[in-house]
Amino acid sequence: MAEVSGGQVARLAVLFERYHRALFRYFVSMGGHREQAEDLVQEVFFRMLRYRTSYDPAQSFTAWMYQIARNAGVDQSRKRRAVVVDIDSFTGLVSGSPGPEESASRGQDLALLRRAMDQLPGDKREILVLSRFQGMKHEDIAEVLGCEVGTVKVRVYRAIRALEQIYFALEKEKVS
Amino acid sequence: MTCEEARIQMLGEAEGKDFAAHLSSCEACRNEVARIGTLWQSLDLLPVEEPSGKVRERFYEMLAAYRQGLASAESRKAYRWGQLAAAAAMLAVGLGVGYVARGSGQPPAEVSQLREEVASMRQLVALSLMQQQSASERLRGVSWAYQAEPSDREVLGALVTAVNQDTNVNVRLAAVDALRRFAASPEIRRAVVDALPAQTTPLVQVALIDLLVDFKDRNAAEALTKLAANRDVNDGVRQQAQWALEKLQ
Repeated sequence: MAEVSGGQVARLAVLFERYHRALFRYFVSMGGHREQAEDLVQEVFFRMLRYRTSYDPAQSFTAWMYQIARNAGVDQSRKRRAVVVDIDSFTGLVSGSPGPEESASRGQDLALLRRAMDQLPGDKREILVLSRFQGMKHEDIAEVLGCEVGTVKVRVYRAIRALEQIYFALEKEKVS
Repeated sequence: MTCEEARIQMLGEAEGKDFAAHLSSCEACRNEVARIGTLWQSLDLLPVEEPSGKVRERFYEMLAAYRQGLASAESRKAYRWGQLAAAAAMLAVGLGVGYVARGSGQPPAEVSQLREEVASMRQLVALSLMQQQSASERLRGVSWAYQAEPSDREVLGALVTAVNQDTNVNVRLAAVDALRRFAASPEIRRAVVDALPAQTTPLVQVALIDLLVDFKDRNAAEALTKLAANRDVNDGVRQQAQWALEKLQ
């Protein structure tokens, strides 16, 4: 990014190739439709060009990028209400080769987990997405959210506890 | 370490000896770690969404358009800088002052001015794309122009030009649609009225008529009356023009 900031804008392609999938997943996980998420990915790279001179090489690039992503997401949600991802749109498992019954059961559990994620309040969902899906360090998350590292740890814990409660509530609902 | 501290640590990157010691002596925290840890791990099993190939296509298109726009902004700037240098030299001769303007490097003011020009990137991208050979690229240019500010006369001018002159009907239709946001501008309303007689494609004519109704522009009455009375024009278009006249009354 330092090179892009210095005027070699073509180098943005390297960053695009490295990060666009992670950004896309971030936006989808935050409750956007695929199409909206793709628009937002485009917007983030556009803003990187637009604000490239504001990048400080001493700062973590991922933290800077997610700050831009958050702002782009907030701006878009102001324009139109975010639509929750259709839980029926995903099925199946990531890896391994479980039997059909196990697959169905795990698939249902994952569908429930996804529903629980979607029902989490936005701030809690975001901190889980950043720490778990995006694999960001607590220090970088703290920079993105503008808080202390200790606060991030507490928030991550509270978010996973909240997820657990929603998950079990949904499970109970399903059984009854 | 307290139970609360241990639970906050459990999802951290470095758990440490204190954490391990606490767990070995606290059954409640061991249970908590097992339960929460399982949920934490299972988040990994959620399917990974992948973006479509369009994202890459759009990115490289934007980057190319931006670089092209940047290059033309720099050449315009260099031209202006050359003019400024010539004027400064003439002034120096005229006054008989024994110094000349510095010939190398740009002063900070110049750099910041260049940055200001670059700040209008949306405009550069839109204008650059709207000048491309490919109709799909010009369509993308129009979609960038949707984000233009009402004060962005260059982009609005390019949209009006697209409505009047673009060879592709889809680009003309998209440009008509993009102008919808600028109802407050008298120049745009005038330009849409003026565009109406020049159009020969029924789809675009109808789109322009609808736009004029949306604009609630009574100045359009004359152009609409002529269109409604013109026997050479498509029947559907004439009916639409008649309908628009009634709506605007």
